[in-house]
This record gives sequence, structure tokens and C-alpha cells, in this order.
Amino acid sequence: MTMAKIELKDLRVSFGASPVITGVNLSIPDRSITALMGPSGSGKSTILRVLNRLIELYPEAKVSGEVYLDGQNIFDMNVLELRRKVQMIFQIPNPIPNLSIFENVALGLKLNRLVRGKKELFERVKSALEKAQLWDEVRNRLNMPAGKLSGGQQQRLCVARALAFEPEVLLADEPTANLDPENTAKVEALFLWLKKEMTIVLVTHYPPQAARVSDYVAFLYKGQIVEWGPTKDIFTKPRHELTEKYVTGRLY
Amino acid sequence: MTAERKVEDVTAVRMVINWLGLGLFALLGVAAVVPLFLIIGDVYIKGIDAINRLGGLWVFLTELPPTPFDERGGVGPMLVGTLYMTALGALLGIAVGFPLGVYIGEMRREKFANVARAGVNVLVEFPTIVVGLFVYAVMSLAKEDLNRYLLYPLSKTLSPVGGWISLFIGPLDGFNAYAGAAALSIIMIPYVALITASAYASIEQPLREAAYAIGGREFNALFVVLRKAVSRAVVTAALLGTAKIAGETAPLLFTAFGNTYYAPFTGPTGAVSLWIWYAAQTPYDVQIASAYGAAAVLLTIILTIFIIARIRS
Repeated sequence: MTMAKIELKDLRVSFGASPVITGVNLSIPDRSITALMGPSGSGKSTILRVLNRLIELYPEAKVSGEVYLDGQNIFDMNVLELRRKVQMIFQIPNPIPNLSIFENVALGLKLNRLVRGKKELFERVKSALEKAQLWDEVRNRLNMPAGKLSGGQQQRLCVARALAFEPEVLLADEPTANLDPENTAKVEALFLWLKKEMTIVLVTHYPPQAARVSDYVAFLYKGQIVEWGPTKDIFTKPRHELTEKYVTGRLY
Repeated sequence: MTAERKVEDVTAVRMVINWLGLGLFALLGVAAVVPLFLIIGDVYIKGIDAINRLGGLWVFLTELPPTPFDERGGVGPMLVGTLYMTALGALLGIAVGFPLGVYIGEMRREKFANVARAGVNVLVEFPTIVVGLFVYAVMSLAKEDLNRYLLYPLSKTLSPVGGWISLFIGPLDGFNAYAGAAALSIIMIPYVALITASAYASIEQPLREAAYAIGGREFNALFVVLRKAVSRAVVTAALLGTAKIAGETAPLLFTAFGNTYYAPFTGPTGAVSLWIWYAAQTPYDVQIASAYGAAAVLLTIILTIFIIARIRS
């Protein structure tokens, strides 16, 4: 296993009085895909939202424990810098609907002052769209509102928007839950290609997807990690009965 | 056979009741819309006729109002006053109302935001004449000090720019265009704030998370990314609010007071609505006619803004 990009130490999260994450330890290796897999309500999305501190949008959420990115505690980091390094893709494709395709990708770069001049901006947007494998489909209609794209295209636009930041970590929260099989395949292929450059944390409640794309799997159940390790081991020789039940579709 | 027959009968009865019901609703709809068209028709028929008799459109839009002994005249000074005060009031209304709306729509976890929301809800239904009275009272109290310590020195410092500057910022009279604009903005602020708040509150959580993920600072996420998502609703609110204050009369009675001459905005300022209110009560036909013409002008301003707002949304 390569060096850990992200380390979670005794992470606990509760919403008001109800605990959601009850002590999670996990190390996520660099330049690989780690799947957080588990049934609904197991706390997968919550962990993801801790990693880029979007959890702070929920005032009732209480977080304790430590999370390190390259050995640096993320709660001591500047949140702007953290979110620039750790970008996210969501379950529902969420481009700003009335903003153009170009502007959707460019906006984050402009607001964070990551580019100098129009030419560099265009180059960054173009390369992000190319990496998200959307460029060929939209190159002639960059000024069209993003809301007019199909669901699959919108999701790849959101990938491009995240990639424009040139992030070190890409968080994906059930990114294919609202897509048809063809677009799901496209997004999965995209992740396999992107992992050469970055660390990807993929939340899924669909074991076959974890099996197809991930290098490592952490199986979550009721706010705790039941088992984690290389994907092959989890799916072929699970050590825990719950894991076996889940990957064979008998636990949901 | 009889059973089938019965089903058909019941269906027929239901269809008749359906027709009756729909007809009733259509009738209510017509009843609601008819007065609107009667008013618009009446104002434009009499108004256009009056404008023609008083010297044509250009004369009507630029010249002083007719005295009882004149045969021609217009609403020039009042039109300028209305446009000036409405523009200022709308700018201030948006500048304060929009951030306030974001605050009460987006920061629901803050206790004070709920207090502000309740306050704004009351203010939006406030009698506008009370708003006018309030500004009048504040103006009376603050005028002396305002003039002595701020406006007089300011207009003196700026006087090298040109003498005209004192027409805009010079020492204020008790009645002036700025008091009028302030009263109008107080009417507009809660209106813009409430629509902005409900637009922000209707943003779905995924979009909000995206805004924070890409926006960086919270300010950017709220006022740039999410604003772009709700810009249509907010612009519509701003336009409708502007249309609303353009026609207001009551808040101007104690603040702008009214004027029939072209005069500095630092003193009593005319407004089209105030002229309608005054001229329609006079016993002189020529002034009554000019009130109709003025009503047509005012209605045109408001309908234009309204139509722009509709087309945009």
C-alpha cells in the first residue's frame, strides 16, 4: 500500500443528539479509488462531507476526532485551501442551471482567483472539460445554459467543475445514482482514468460498482467501519459476516 | 342494461356539474380582470385625448402643469421628480433589501434573522402614509444638524465642480426629494427582502453544497454563486418593487410635498402621483384633463416595468 493521503482518527459525528459516525479510523491511499460502501444511513455521505468540511453547513452537526490530509489536520487548515484541494461531486448533478456551461466551470476559478487573464481561464476550462470527457460534446455550445444538458452530461460537467481546481482529492457522493447505465459506465471509466492523478473517494451503496472501480473498500454499517481492505479481499474473502451478507445482496 | 344506463346518467350529471363549476370559476376570473381593463381603458382613452388637447406628447412630458387659465401644459417637473425619487428609492431598496433577504432566507439558524423576518413581514404591510410621516419626523429632527455639519460643508467642498452641485446636495429644506426617496425605499426594502428570502430558501441543498464547494468564501457562495441561481426571481422582485413605488402617493405627501416647477431636488419636489391627487380635485377642467394625462403617463411607466419583469421571468 502506498502512503496514506488521508487519515481519519477516531472520527465521530452526531446530528443533534443522534450519533451518525461513532468512531471511524481509516487511511485512504494516494492515487487510488477508495470506495465507502454501505447501506443507506450508514454514514458514508457524512464522512465525505467531513473531508472537505462541507459538514460545517449543518449547524446541528458536531464533529470530533482528527482528519489529516498529507499529515496536516484539516480542521486547522484554511477552509478555502482545503476545498480547493478536496473537490466534490454530488449525488444529484448540480450545475448552476441558468449559468452557461463555460461559466459553470469557470466560476470557481474566478472566485478563488486561481487564474490570471482570460486566456488562461479558457485553457483551464477547456482542459477540465477535456479531462471530464465532455469537451467534444459541448465545444460548440459553451454559452448554452447548463440546465439544458442531459443528466449524464450535467454530471460530467460537475466533474469538470471539480477538476478545474486541479484537486488532489476528488470526493464522489453516489455520483451515478441518478444516471442511466451508459452514463454510469462513462463516469466510472472516467474515474479509473483520473485516479492516475488524484485520490478518489467514492461513496456507493451498490456493491458491484465498488467491485468494478475501486482499489480499496471500506464497508460501513451504522456509523462504524466493519471491515476495510483491498477490494479483491473484501469481495472474495470477507472476514465479517455482515460484509459477506452485504456484498451478496442480503443486507440493505 | 339498466345498470349500464344508470352509470351513463351519473356520468352525465357529473359532466353538467363539472361545466357549471368551471363556468363559475371562469366568471370569477372575468370579474377579477374586468375592473383592470376598465381602468386601463378609461385612463388611456381620456388620458390620450387630454394629452392631445394640452399640446401633444412632447409638450405634456416636458412643460409645466397648466394653471386654471392655461390651455396647454404638462407634467414635466413631476415626471422628473418621479423618475429621480423612484430611481433613488429603488437603488436604496435593492441595496438594503437584497442582503437583508439573503440574511433572513439563508441564515435561519441565527436567532436574530427570525426577528428580522418578523419585522420585515410587518413592515411590508405597513400603511405607507405612516412611513411618510416617520420620514417627515426624522427629517424635521435631523435637518438642522445634517445641513450644518454635513451637507453645507460638502456642497462647499464640491462647489469647484460646478454651481449645479448645490442643486443636488446643497442644504436641504424640510421637504425634499431625498426624504421622498427614503420613504419609497422603506416601502421597497421589505418587498425585495421577502422575495429574495423565499428565493434563497427554495434553493435545494445540493446546489447550496455545490456553491460552498466551488465558491470559496461564504460571501462568494451566498452572494455570487447562489445569486446566479436565483437571479431571475430577485431581478423580478426588484422590477416589481420599482413599479410599486413609482406609483406611490401617500409616502410622498409629507416628504417630497410636491412642486409644479422645475426646482432643485433639495427642496419640495413634484411627483406625477402627487399631481394626479391634486389636479383631480380641482374644479378646473384643464387641470382635471391634465390629471388624466398624468395618470396615463404613470400607468405607462408602471406597465412598462411590469412587462419587462414578466418577459424576464
